[in-house]
This record gives sequence, structure tokens and C-alpha cells, in this order.
Amino acid sequence: MHRGNGDGSRKTFEQAQHTGRPFNAEEDNFPGSSGLLFEQAMAQTRMAVCLTDPRLEDDPIVFCNKAFEKLTGYKQDEIVGRNCRFLQGPKTDQSQVAKIRDAIRTEEVLVVELLNYRKDGSTFWNALHLGPIYDEEGKLRYFFGSQWDVTDIHLARAEEKHAKAMAREVSHRLKNVFAVIGGIVNITGRAMNARNVSSKINERVQALGRAYEPTLDDAALGTIEVGQAIRSVLNPYDPEGDRILFEGNGARTEPNAVSAMGLTLHELATNASKYGALSNEDGKITVSWHHTEDRHERQALVIDWKETGGPRISGEPEITGTGFDIAERLLAYSRGTLDRTWEEDGLRAKISLPLKS
Amino acid sequence: MKCILILEDEPLIAMDLQLAFEDAGAEAVVTVSCDEAFEAMDGAEFDGAVLDVNLGKGETCEPVAVELRARGVPFLLHTGDLDRAGEALRDLDAPILAKPSGADDVVSRLFGLNGQLQPA
Repeated sequence: MHRGNGDGSRKTFEQAQHTGRPFNAEEDNFPGSSGLLFEQAMAQTRMAVCLTDPRLEDDPIVFCNKAFEKLTGYKQDEIVGRNCRFLQGPKTDQSQVAKIRDAIRTEEVLVVELLNYRKDGSTFWNALHLGPIYDEEGKLRYFFGSQWDVTDIHLARAEEKHAKAMAREVSHRLKNVFAVIGGIVNITGRAMNARNVSSKINERVQALGRAYEPTLDDAALGTIEVGQAIRSVLNPYDPEGDRILFEGNGARTEPNAVSAMGLTLHELATNASKYGALSNEDGKITVSWHHTEDRHERQALVIDWKETGGPRISGEPEITGTGFDIAERLLAYSRGTLDRTWEEDGLRAKISLPLKS
Repeated sequence: MKCILILEDEPLIAMDLQLAFEDAGAEAVVTVSCDEAFEAMDGAEFDGAVLDVNLGKGETCEPVAVELRARGVPFLLHTGDLDRAGEALRDLDAPILAKPSGADDVVSRLFGLNGQLQPA
């Protein structure tokens, strides 16, 4: 690389920063890199910048720009001549400070985030970038430091982390609660000689639990992603993961729709395990879902259920089970419908749930 | 008669599992901590085990899982939150049954379809 023609192909100071290597006067030089242009750029940038001189005792700041004054609340004459550590305070993480010391000693580029203190005692999270600057002969001349206030990012990150931890805790406890409910139902059923009833109750309760569980993260948004709820309700019926095909487009719905939807899918899957596509070795089910307009021109969520490859069927069976009666009634409370048709190669079902506009 | 070790600190789940194994014609010993599980393993040979992963106050079933693996005893991890299991537990790559799942599912999963215990 040759110098001084300003053809735009050489690395700028900014680029040198991004490559994470020290500024090099030889390679990173450009016609305006010193003097008037540099000073004007430094004065205008919103990035707080300082230079320290490691050849002077205690590596004091020898230059800082307006943004540095604004960020820290100190005036230039209070800043120049002091070591950068005057921005630290009791809550500054000393392990981060040690990293800075090491980087200065080994003349390396470093980016750390540390808590700094303004003149008025208030704190800010400082994304500090520092690196050595060498002169034309390759001798260490300055340390460059840029400071960026990332307090907002820190807060948002902490809140997000907290929210995630809470969602996980709630999810974990909810699972435990459902497991315990399962225990009570089973034990009671056993004690009262009503195992058949208790296991039916339990299957439905557990299906509901699975339907609600993946909605926890989402529910705060007001709607939940349908696909996650559908998958978790149906997963236990397809332990190998090769019998039920899922096709969805990320459609969302109200959390309240989950119970009716979850129980209906559970009934369909139970039915398929006993009589339909899951009752033999190679039947398959395709479950697809999308938004559409229903006959009253309302937006609706539609879940299509298509069984193939199960035992041949000849028309509607005489008894279709109390589970479906419950499911249809539940759907009706949400103004939804369940339509079932018995094709020769398997059951087709369509769950339709209006979306609140 | 097959003898199954259950490590579970939630009483209702433990009772449900124990009864389900008894219904399936097996004997089930319930322990509530790793210490108890090791004590039980001292005096008996087990044919299989069901381990709750999180046993409260940061205790996990990991040491018991490691010991069972060393003895070649097949076991299931029965958990609501595998993320909390340590690396070592994940490295064991044991079969996992997510909580909540019916006690009968736990039994059939451990026993396999033909009544044989699944290999560890």
C-alpha cells in the first residue's frame, strides 16, 4: 500500500478501529490525518474521544474532545493531565479495569464495558475502545480512547435477561404444577377404582398444559404463535417425529383460543391413535394452519387436519366419542367450529377460530 | 420381579410413579435425594431408574446418573427443564422424558414396548 494519494482505497482510521488492530501511522495515514481536519473532526464527532501519553508519568490524558466533556461533565482543563481512572468509582468492575491495564501494558486494542462516574456523581455504562497509536517510526506515541454511553443498552439487556429468566421460571413451575395435578388425578382415580376416567382426565389436562406452555414467553405480546402450541400438543403422539407433518406460516392467535384448540387437537390425535392414521405402522397426518376469512368475512384461524395411510374407512362412524362433543362445545364458546369428513383414506378435519379484530 | 429406583423430590409425582410401576408388576424404591439414592444402591441391584433432574436447592441427579451409567443400569431423566441440567448430565446423553408426562408413559418408556428394559 502506498501513501498520500487519497484515492479512497486505503484504510481509514475508522476502518482500522473496526479491524481490531492498532492504528498504524504508516498504513492508516491519509492526507488529513493530522492537523486541522483531524481537529475539526474530533470537535464535531459525537463520539467521546481522548488521547493519553504513555511516555509521561501515569499516562495522563493529553487531549479530549467536546463529546468527552459532554459525556463526563468535566471541562477540558479538569480532564487534561489526569489519568483516565478518575472516571472510575466504587461500583466500577475492577476485573474490567485490570483488562485495560493489561491492554495498555501489552499495547493491544481492547473494547470493554465498564461503569464510569460523571462529575456530578451519576453513573453511565461506558463502552470503552482503546488502542495504541504509533508514530512513523513505529514507536508508541499515544493511547487512543473512545467512550460511548451504552447505559440504555445495558438497561434493556438487563431487563430482557430478567424477563427471560422469569419466563423460564414460570414455565418450569407451570410444568411442575401440571405434573403434580397429573399425580393427584391418577392417585385419586386409582383409589376410587376409576382408572379409566382418571386417565382420560389426565390426558386432557396434560394436553392443555402442553398447549399453554409454549405461549408463556409470547403471551405478553397479546397474541401467541399457533404453531408452537400445535406442535407441543401433538408431539407426544409422534415420538419418532415422522408421522405428523406440520405446515404453518407463523400465524398468531389470542391466548384464550389455546384451550379449545389444544383440546380439539388432543381429541383428533387420540382418535387417530385408536382408529386412524396413527393406529397402524405407516399412516401420516398433515396439520396445516393459516389465517383466512370465514363466511361472515371475519378473520379466522383455520387448522386443517388430514389423515392418510390409515385403515380404510367407510363413512362416518356411529359413535365419535364424548371428547369431540366437549371439543365442539368449547370451540363454540369461542365462536369457532369443527368440521369433520370421513374420506376413504382418512379423516379430514377443519378447526376454525375467529380472530378478534 | 424387576426393581426400579425412583429419584423424585415431589411427593405426588413420586407416589404416582411408584404406584404405576407397581401396577406394571415391578417393585419401586423411592428416594428423594442423591444421598438416599446412593444408600439404596448400596444394598440393591436395580433394573432401571427414573431420575428427576432438579432436586431443589441446586441439587441435580447428576452423581446418581453417572453411577447408574457406570453400573450399566438403564435410566430415564424425567424433567421439566433440561436447561438447568449441568453439562455433565447432558454429556451422558440419557433418554429424556419431558415433564409433565403420565406415569404410565414413564413406565412404558422405561420398559420399552415388549416389556424389556431399554438399554442405557
